[in-house]
Amino acid sequence: MRAIKGVLLTCDTAVKQILLAMNEKDPFIIEDLDDYHIVIKADEEYRVRKVLEVELEKNTYSLEAS
Amino acid sequence: MATASTSKRRKWAGEEDEYMDVEEYVSDSGAESSLVPRGATINFSALTRKLAEARRAKNASVPDGEESLLDAHRRQQDSLVSHIFLQHDFSWLHLKPDHASRPLWISPEDCHIILEAFSPIAEQAQDFLVAISEPVSRPAFIHEYKLTPYSLYAAVSVGLQTEDIIEVLNRLSKVPVPESITNLIRERTHSYGKVKLVLKHNKYYIESSYPETLQFLLKDKSIREARVATDDTMKGFTTGKAPMKGNLVIAGTREAEKSRDEAAGGRPGVPPVAGSRDGDLFTSIVGVEGDEIDEDDENVHAFEIDDAKIDDVKKRCNELEYPMLEEYDFRNDTINPNLDIDLKPATVIRPYQETSLSKMFGNGRARSGIIVLPCGAGKTLVGITAACTIKKSCLVLCTSSVSVMQWRQQFMQWSNVTDRQIAVFTADQKERFAGESGIVISTYSMVANTHNRSHESKKMMEFLTSREWGFILLDEVHVVPAAMFRRVVTTIKAHSKLGLTATLVREDHKIEDLNYMIGPKLYEANWMDLAAKGHIANVQCAEVWCPMTPEFYREYLREQSRKRMLLYCMNPKKFQACQFLINYHESRGDKIIVFSDNVYALEAYAKKLRKPYIHGGTGQVERMRVLQWFQHDSNVNTIFLSKVGDTSIDLPEATCLIQISSHFGSRRQEAQRLGRILRAKRRNDEGFNAFFYSLVSKDTQEMFYSTKRQQFLIDQGYSFKVITHLDGLEDLPDLVYKTKDEQIELISSVLLANESEAELGSDIRASEGDLSGTITSKDFGPAKFPTVQRTTGSLTALSGAQHMSYMEQNKSANKKLARDAPQRHKLFSKRDKEKAAARKEARATGRAQ
Repeated sequence: MRAIKGVLLTCDTAVKQILLAMNEKDPFIIEDLDDYHIVIKADEEYRVRKVLEVELEKNTYSLEAS
Repeated sequence: MATASTSKRRKWAGEEDEYMDVEEYVSDSGAESSLVPRGATINFSALTRKLAEARRAKNASVPDGEESLLDAHRRQQDSLVSHIFLQHDFSWLHLKPDHASRPLWISPEDCHIILEAFSPIAEQAQDFLVAISEPVSRPAFIHEYKLTPYSLYAAVSVGLQTEDIIEVLNRLSKVPVPESITNLIRERTHSYGKVKLVLKHNKYYIESSYPETLQFLLKDKSIREARVATDDTMKGFTTGKAPMKGNLVIAGTREAEKSRDEAAGGRPGVPPVAGSRDGDLFTSIVGVEGDEIDEDDENVHAFEIDDAKIDDVKKRCNELEYPMLEEYDFRNDTINPNLDIDLKPATVIRPYQETSLSKMFGNGRARSGIIVLPCGAGKTLVGITAACTIKKSCLVLCTSSVSVMQWRQQFMQWSNVTDRQIAVFTADQKERFAGESGIVISTYSMVANTHNRSHESKKMMEFLTSREWGFILLDEVHVVPAAMFRRVVTTIKAHSKLGLTATLVREDHKIEDLNYMIGPKLYEANWMDLAAKGHIANVQCAEVWCPMTPEFYREYLREQSRKRMLLYCMNPKKFQACQFLINYHESRGDKIIVFSDNVYALEAYAKKLRKPYIHGGTGQVERMRVLQWFQHDSNVNTIFLSKVGDTSIDLPEATCLIQISSHFGSRRQEAQRLGRILRAKRRNDEGFNAFFYSLVSKDTQEMFYSTKRQQFLIDQGYSFKVITHLDGLEDLPDLVYKTKDEQIELISSVLLANESEAELGSDIRASEGDLSGTITSKDFGPAKFPTVQRTTGSLTALSGAQHMSYMEQNKSANKKLARDAPQRHKLFSKRDKEKAAARKEARATGRAQ
């Protein structure tokens, strides 16, 4: 048994689904607690946030993009 | 030190609001080229970053004393603001001392004008700005306009003088009118009106009283090539005398006679329509068209150009900054026979319709151009009034055969045109009007089609192309593809053109082409203004965010684009929101239309919520019945429509509209759908009297499209409220898909659905003569035959002899209505029959003549 440093993320259900999908490619989830909470590896946190941001930005329309 | 810095910090924090104000203010004056000044464009993150930076810098350098604190502050504030806006920083512009009472900002770089719509003199300023520039965006408080060459041409053609424009601009502006702008105005207005395009005896001529201008134009290759060689080419141009113009309105008939005398006197023995080209040319030059710029110049020079190249020449002339004036002096046209039609005495024109027409007939002649009015504001009536003013043969082109019939019906309703004077040219009906002048209504594709014509339509086309038309009315101009338009414009000879549209936007920036193909935008109504005056409904727009359930979102992330759409349409939370809104508005007494582009979703929703629906596959009889129930029965208050409802179904009763799926980011569709409820003005409630909801699944592409779609309406001044939570949704009795089991059942059925189900508007097949892309986004070929399938089964099962009985759970509400459709009373059906017989007879006699 080895101790892993983890971070608890609180998110809504949609974001959790994105995280789960990301996890399939590149596992980083330690424990899936419930619909709104998830524990992930601490050293992956920064990368996960980055990717998530990009993912969410795809659905936003901004005037600059047009 | 520590205390000083904290106190400063507090101050900074306190003034953050002030910064926001300054920011907004400058962004308005900044007028970034394509960006619309709006709260959304302010980059808050950038601002806060800059603020933090500035704060650090401030903390590092110790202020000298108390009194300089404010100054330093100001300076910092200035540099901060200019840093954010970079090239859009116009803080160097010199403000007039009384700038507060002047409502305009003019950007020296891109000709954008920002108007403070809350200023007391904003109304007058608006009238002026609409005349000289094109509105870009008109929300409640700050309007944006843009000066374009075309708008300036239009301004000159309605009689504004160059110096007056500059003078008035200067008076209204907070800053002196920049040099670049005055130069532009001078330059553009100077060349306007020197060259004219004249149609005579079915041939086009370019005409000018300045030979050097024509020489200049002929130096251009494309124009030279388009010129038709005449015998006297070495001489350069055919020259003739221009008739002196008196006051047009009074001297109407006398002038015409005079010019006819002149023509006869100049060339005795040569009748005006003689075969000799020379004679033709001569009469064309001495025609009734007068020169309004140089009335005392006696000579008019002209050369003929090829019909087929007329379009290129027009475009080229615009590029050379000699835009051609296309005006039709219809009162003095004695060659084309008059059409004796008038508006019925009971017909009343609304003030804005009058304004738009006055722009068209500003100087007593018909000017070609485009009039932009919102849906439901009576575009048709404007067209009909224009036709009744010109009183010449008129060709009306619309997008589908359904609207052909609507136009015909409207003509009969508003004007005293008789049945014999009006003819329809569609795939099923090919009529001609009796007499020598009349109205023909057709579709763009019927006229522009070059191949596969039946004998009848060929003959009809010959009829259309062989004559000169006084007036051509182009409905929904924004949808017509450029190539098709060119064919129409080149094959049909018309003296003046009027384009009508509600939304002068295209997703493919082809809108500029209309400028030279038809003419400048003559008038664009302000939607908010019309709503405030009660001509169109006051609409509350809202975007309802429906969260995706985890199951749906998981599948959404897995699926590819096509299926994704189906998943976000069928989101159970959306179902619930839809049900809730329907319940809420039905109890208020509203009539509700629910739109869905996706037919699969449409049927699923309608069946689940037990409401009648119409899509392309719905039969004509059923369709009429459903519509009738919706219009007249107080029990049927909700109807589900697919794309068919976007244009071809008129439902003036509806006061509430819910969108569950739509065509990606089409701004036009959004505006068109809003137009469905703009007629709803019979209810005299306070405040809003119509409602427009878009249901959007959160965290999906739909969010992106939805925002994009709204841009046009936002530019017109509508604001969209975002609803993230519908109050009382959970407490709704018999809420659909409440349990997880039901939701999972739904998702499995969605996943089983064919990929093709996810297509949009797959239910509508364009009939012959309909313009592709107007009703559907896809080009539909002939109906597909059902393919043969091989199945195995027992003979009893195949013959249906296995004693089983089924009951349909998800019944279509249409069927229920069908069962008890009322019979039409004998009295009425008899009367209808008689009417039809009388009409037939009248037409037969009309043709015999």
